[in-house]
Amino acid sequence: MTNISKWWITIKISWVKHTAYRLNFFLQIIGPSLVFFFVKYNLWSSIYAGEEDLIIKGFDFQAMIQYHLWAFVVSLVAQGHGSWNLAEDIRLGRISSYLIYPFNFWEFHTASWLSFQVIQMGIAGLTLCILGFFGLVTLPSTHLFLFGIGYTLFISLFWFTMQYLTGVLAFWLEETWILRVMLSIVSYFLSGAIIPLDLYPKWMVTFLNYTPFPYLTYYPVKLFLGEAIDLTQGVSIILFWTLFFALINHLVWKRGIKLYTAAGM
Amino acid sequence: MKHYWNVYKKFVSTSVSVETSFRTSFILLVLMDIFFFASTVGSVSFIYDHVATIGPWGKNQLLFFITFMLMIDNLHMMIFSQSFWEFSFSIRTGQLDYTLLKPLHTIFSVFFRHFRASSVVNTPLFLGSLIYNGMKINLSFLDWCLMPVFLILGLVLLVIIEFILSTSMFWMTDGTGINFLRMQMQQLARWPEFVYRGVIRKVLMTVLPVLLIGSGPVHFLLGGKWNNLALMGGMIVVLGFVLSFVWGVGLRRYDSASS
Repeated sequence: MTNISKWWITIKISWVKHTAYRLNFFLQIIGPSLVFFFVKYNLWSSIYAGEEDLIIKGFDFQAMIQYHLWAFVVSLVAQGHGSWNLAEDIRLGRISSYLIYPFNFWEFHTASWLSFQVIQMGIAGLTLCILGFFGLVTLPSTHLFLFGIGYTLFISLFWFTMQYLTGVLAFWLEETWILRVMLSIVSYFLSGAIIPLDLYPKWMVTFLNYTPFPYLTYYPVKLFLGEAIDLTQGVSIILFWTLFFALINHLVWKRGIKLYTAAGM
Repeated sequence: MKHYWNVYKKFVSTSVSVETSFRTSFILLVLMDIFFFASTVGSVSFIYDHVATIGPWGKNQLLFFITFMLMIDNLHMMIFSQSFWEFSFSIRTGQLDYTLLKPLHTIFSVFFRHFRASSVVNTPLFLGSLIYNGMKINLSFLDWCLMPVFLILGLVLLVIIEFILSTSMFWMTDGTGINFLRMQMQQLARWPEFVYRGVIRKVLMTVLPVLLIGSGPVHFLLGGKWNNLALMGGMIVVLGFVLSFVWGVGLRRYDSASS
């Protein structure tokens, strides 16, 4: 069997796994983003209802809702994945199989992530169609839209490498979900997912621009909104952090596998 | 009652022993709560840098509401949170059999089993922040006396709703999704009722009364409005009966994965 067919079969198996419990998938992956948007919509409606023609840092009500709708779409594509199975595989000793299979552990989980991304892209596409049909979002020009999609997919790769790191830390940690939740809390707050970064203090935004966080939500949303952003800087910084985390993942795996005791064997 | 208190003390001591034996996880849990606190309070503060009011409330009132809800969250994390996750796992694996065999009320043995000691470490932060924001809005002596009662009432309403929701896990193969639904419900409750409008607000005040958890007590403390507080008291009684009914039905539905 060629390596490509191993990837293809793993992607198909993961697809079946992801879609086996559809209600769980909805409640676990889509539900949180949907409720998060719902809360933000109500909060900003309440804020803007207090004063007529209110403009906050260049955002009128429509612009603010557009921002959060695009943030919702970006979060579906870029930040949906969690490395739940990965940590469990290590903790319960299931990685023993990967050590004898002719298919690496990282390859298996990357293929699984790819199948997850296909599902998420479908859901995001459907969401965009519905939002566009009701005129709730304005689509940018075709080339900006394609740039935005490409950039968001690139972010999802970065998100995967971070999630992978939290998963492989299961060699040392009893509970890795804590790290995943911490990562979500920090990235939601610092990426502009809760409120646009324009509303943050200037010194904080200057500092954040050197971290990957603003490039997770704020910049892709700005791109979809058709605003001029320095794409080169965003891509460079995300590329740097993706390579950095990929290297760390490799080193952590090499150190971790030496500690592995194959629980239950 | 004494029997239950003695059992609960054992639950707490075993939970503390287990949790403190994984020190890194323990520290990370403490940090996670601090990050959550900082991001919630920070977001509200940043919004108020640009607007004077949200609904009828200024910054001090809303921060008091937010810290009131965060204090309930802290108590919830400490006493109940972990048990919900263990519950879905134990139904799936059949380990619930052993819990049901114990000579205790099943709701007690299921939902009071796991105590999270790391949340105790953060309690001074949450409580201190609540007191600080309470002082800023000049609460009266009577208000301060009522505060612990209101915190307990809020927590009771929240967990009764969550217990009812969790009963649906008896009908599911994997109840993990219900726990995520529960967390989304908590997210809805973290904002005052005037943020929501129309039918949604009515639903979240009556059918799924999560907005009463904070809005009932805080509106009473801020302006002496007692209608939401009375509704909250009524809901606790009604939902208490609903819980005892659906829990019984759920238990009869449980067919044990291990047998």
